Formats: sequence, structure tokens, C-alpha cells
Amino acid sequence: MKITESVKDNVSQVYIKGRFDAHTCETVDAYIREKMEKGRHQFVLNMEKVPFIDSAGLRVVLVIARDLRGEYQGDLRFAILQPAVNKVFEISGLNNVLRIFDDAETAAQSFSE
Amino acid sequence: MRQSFDFPADTSVLAKIGELATETGRAAGFNDNEINDINLAVSEVCTNTITHGLKNDPTRTFQLVIQWNTGEIEIFIHEAGEPFDPPDLKDPDLEASLEDRPVRGLGLYLLRNLMDEADYRVGRDGVKTWRMLKRKAEA
Repeated sequence: MKITESVKDNVSQVYIKGRFDAHTCETVDAYIREKMEKGRHQFVLNMEKVPFIDSAGLRVVLVIARDLRGEYQGDLRFAILQPAVNKVFEISGLNNVLRIFDDAETAAQSFSE
Repeated sequence: MRQSFDFPADTSVLAKIGELATETGRAAGFNDNEINDINLAVSEVCTNTITHGLKNDPTRTFQLVIQWNTGEIEIFIHEAGEPFDPPDLKDPDLEASLEDRPVRGLGLYLLRNLMDEADYRVGRDGVKTWRMLKRKAEA
């Protein structure tokens, strides 16, 4: 799992690469929560290089999004889900409660709407 | 064809297990979409076994058995860990709002949705076994 970040207009684009599973989800959780503690509350998780997510990964993004919306009026939004990952979001119904975009630019711009 | 592997109870083995499921699924003639289903289902059960059954103790092990024929794959996960009663777990409420969305129970829900058969039993020797089976969809 590799994580990088770029920030523009107060929106943090977090790029993750690799399996997002029970072994790696805590790394993503810790990374984003560290940024949250430093005052960042608008995130786009770029999933272009994530071929796989399991329920542990889903739990992490669900709870982060819930915390950001509930406590900070922020959000965790998603860009470029691979077909296998998109299918898991759909089966679990998370596509109904999380905001997912086809490209990272649109996801970032959605915070200024 | 049948293969058997022993793994330590450490989530670092999940990527390797995913590779095995992918290779075997391909050998059995499944397409990429079906292989992704198999990969996720086996990962969910192994995660459950590692974290709940064996308490993330890498000195303890579980056994993964994969057997397949063309168009059909059957996977067994055997472990002698803590008791677990999956029938007690209800399907998560997929209509709930983000605030009310439960964060547990999703893994087994995915398993039941992705595979044609999935069951769990405890043997007389106390060894617990998950079994799952997937058949290739008719073309």
C-alpha cells in the first residue's frame, strides 16, 4: 500500500495504490485521521490504483466519512473506482450514501458547489 | 484438482491468498468478474478467521483448501480457534443513512452474495470449517 497526497483549494486528494483490505486499511485510516487532526476536512480518495477492497476497507471509509460529515461539516468523496471495487460499493449499498465521481477533478470541484 | 495451504494468522497473508484464488479461478475457467467475487469471498472468510477465530496470533495457523473442476470452485477454511456463530449475524440494513449504517456484518453479507453456497460447521474435534462454492454462470 502506497499513499500520496496533493492539496488544492483546501481539498486533499489522497491517492492510494494497492489492495485496500484488512491488512492495509489501518494505514489509510491513520493517514487520513492525521490530516484531519491538522485541520483538513475535505478529502477525495483517488481509487484509480486500487484493484481490491474488502469489508474492512469499506468500514474504514464509512466511519471516516461519517466523522467528517458529523463533526467537521467535511466529507470523504471518491474518484475513479475500478469495476471490482465499484461492484463492492454497490452490493454493500455504500454508493447510496457516499459520493462517487468518475474523475478526480470533478470530485474535488464538488466541494465548491 | 486440489491444493492445500497452511497460513499463519496474520493479515499480511491476504494478498497471497488473493493471488491463489485468482490463479485457481482462472484455471477453473472463471471470468475476471467471477474471479473478483471468489477473491473477495475467500478474503472475507480468511480475515474473519485470522482476526476473530485466531485473534491475530501469528503463532497459530489455519488451513486453506481449494479444489476445482472446470466451471466450479470449492474452498474450505479450517481452523481450531474461538467459537463463532454466524447465524446470529443479520444482514446489514443497506437502506440506512450514513449516520445509522452498521459497520459490522458486511463481510458475511458479501460472502453470501458473491458465492453460490457458503456454510459453516464445527466438527466433533472442535475444528471449525467454512465452505464456499461458486459455479460458473451459464454462457
